[in-house]
Amino acid sequence: MILRAPANAIDPRMRTYWTVQALMATAALGALVAAGAAIAAMVGATTAAWIVGLAGGLGVLLVAASSLVAVRLGYRHFRYEVTEHGLYVARGRFWRRQQIVPHARLQTVDTTAGPLLRAFGLVAVQVSTASAAGGTSIPGLRRPVADELITELARRAELEEGT
Amino acid sequence: MIGEEIDGRLHPLAVLLIARRFVGMSLLPAAALLLSAGTRVIVPLLAVALLVGVPLAVLSWSRFRYRVAGGRLELHSGVVGRKVRTIPLDRLRGVDLTASFLHRLLGLVRVEFEAAAGGGSRAELSLAAVSRRDAERLRAALLGRARDVEEEPGPRRLYRASPGLLALGGVTSLRYLLAPAAIVGFVFNLADDLPGDVAERAADAAAERAPTDPALIGLLAAGAIVAVLLLAAAGSLLVDWDFTLDDDGEHLSARRGLLTRRLVQLDRDRIRGADVRDTPLRRPFGIAAVTAIASGLRSRTGGTALAPVTHAAAAAALLRSVDPLAPDPRMPLVSHPPAARTRRLVRTLPLALLSLGAATAAMVPWAIVAAALLTASAVLLALDRYRQLGHRFDGRRLTMRGGSLLRRWSELDPAAAVAFELRSSPGQRRAGLCTLTLHLGQGAGSRRALDLGEEQAAELMTRLEPRLLAPLVASREAGGGSG
Repeated sequence: MILRAPANAIDPRMRTYWTVQALMATAALGALVAAGAAIAAMVGATTAAWIVGLAGGLGVLLVAASSLVAVRLGYRHFRYEVTEHGLYVARGRFWRRQQIVPHARLQTVDTTAGPLLRAFGLVAVQVSTASAAGGTSIPGLRRPVADELITELARRAELEEGT
Repeated sequence: MIGEEIDGRLHPLAVLLIARRFVGMSLLPAAALLLSAGTRVIVPLLAVALLVGVPLAVLSWSRFRYRVAGGRLELHSGVVGRKVRTIPLDRLRGVDLTASFLHRLLGLVRVEFEAAAGGGSRAELSLAAVSRRDAERLRAALLGRARDVEEEPGPRRLYRASPGLLALGGVTSLRYLLAPAAIVGFVFNLADDLPGDVAERAADAAAERAPTDPALIGLLAAGAIVAVLLLAAAGSLLVDWDFTLDDDGEHLSARRGLLTRRLVQLDRDRIRGADVRDTPLRRPFGIAAVTAIASGLRSRTGGTALAPVTHAAAAAALLRSVDPLAPDPRMPLVSHPPAARTRRLVRTLPLALLSLGAATAAMVPWAIVAAALLTASAVLLALDRYRQLGHRFDGRRLTMRGGSLLRRWSELDPAAAVAFELRSSPGQRRAGLCTLTLHLGQGAGSRRALDLGEEQAAELMTRLEPRLLAPLVASREAGGGSG
């Protein structure tokens, strides 16, 4: 632990949002496995159908379980904070990544929301700097919270520019 | 500052260069036609190309104008539709003059405008050919330095490459050493496409006449090595001939090249630091390449080169004249913890050991020898990669070093960073290590300190940006708790 954790968590609804996303992806994978098994059965390769169905089903279950764990960890370890001189974002439980963007270096702040994210009443905030690798993002905040964050960032960026 | 107003057009001889571009565009299909259809078709086609191409070139020359007025640079062009490109002068980052061999024969230069980030292709931001005098006048007007040339004390020469040093740089550069291999590969590729069995017959003929005498084989091999070395030296001399770096107080000007002479200018304000790079081949000679870390440049080869090859002592002096606060590259750095050495070994060894195991299991003597050599070199490389790791912060400049086959020593002003990033993988955390990256942006890239000790990282970040980072560093007592 070199840097303390940032103060704020992202919106709790992100757990549900990511879970829905993960389930959709798993469902697609499951459909693929089912289709594979069905085709094998239709061709008459019963043994192959069983193998594909069992191994694939097990795989799908594993993917579902691990992505559910990943969603929970991802939510718990994603944190952000606007400090006096910069935006501090931390993410990841295993591959940990902590970014600090000085307010004076901020170039643009964008909010985006796909249809699913919008259905949850959330927006994603992207912060860009002059470096393509130096930007950061906060994936899910309620609209008022995001607006407040953007106003705060703009105000601080202006203050820093003056000094 | 109000610069002078300029309204100009390309040099009349530029028609030749424009025409060459038009003809050049049709050259490849023409060559293909020549191969397939023979001369009966190609001659009329060439005539048509000339009949269309030359008037087109004249027309496009007559329609092209450049204007500097009202704080803007305007390029007017277009044969069919008119087109005006406008660049505000404060967005202009540099004006580069280059001269190809043909340009130099005609006494002309090509002017390229470097605009701030993004926007348009390079061809649209350049003047194909203007006279040298016009180019200088334009540059003076654009860079707002229309001073009397006579009064200036003249630029200060910071560096000049001697031919001997460039030749040494060539024979120790993998890029130039491998160039002949690329040519050989290209020729073989071409030979594959030749009609009939020409390539095979040539190979057979060569095989028949192949020497069997060991002495002769040795002689041939030695000859080949000498040829490769000579070609490498020649390549380096060709590209970087008489490389000079001048400083006029505001800009650094680098000139280089034997046939095509290039001038690249760099605003001193945009220099954020410098890199010194070398390779194991160059280390025994104590030579290295020095490049500037500069923002606002579109990346391109050699755009920020300060010296293609230089001795360590000269590199230190060069760095100081570019950045007075630059530390000496020969100064010892703070080593990273021994755990970093273990990590380098752990990350390189498994593959080598696996190959050794496989070779031993297969009981193939030469494979065992090869795998053993591979393992040994992997170990040596890992150890050297650790030995090269180092960092140092003297309160104003951050120095970082890493890499072995491509070793890079960098010094930079931490205030130039647009973002800081701290990363750690599970393996790194177990070993108490992490990686600190400074993103510089605007084409200057990122520089990182690999496998810093956690204590080192905390201490470094506290000192690097006391206002921004120090409040985030966890206090020591609180550390090591929840994860």
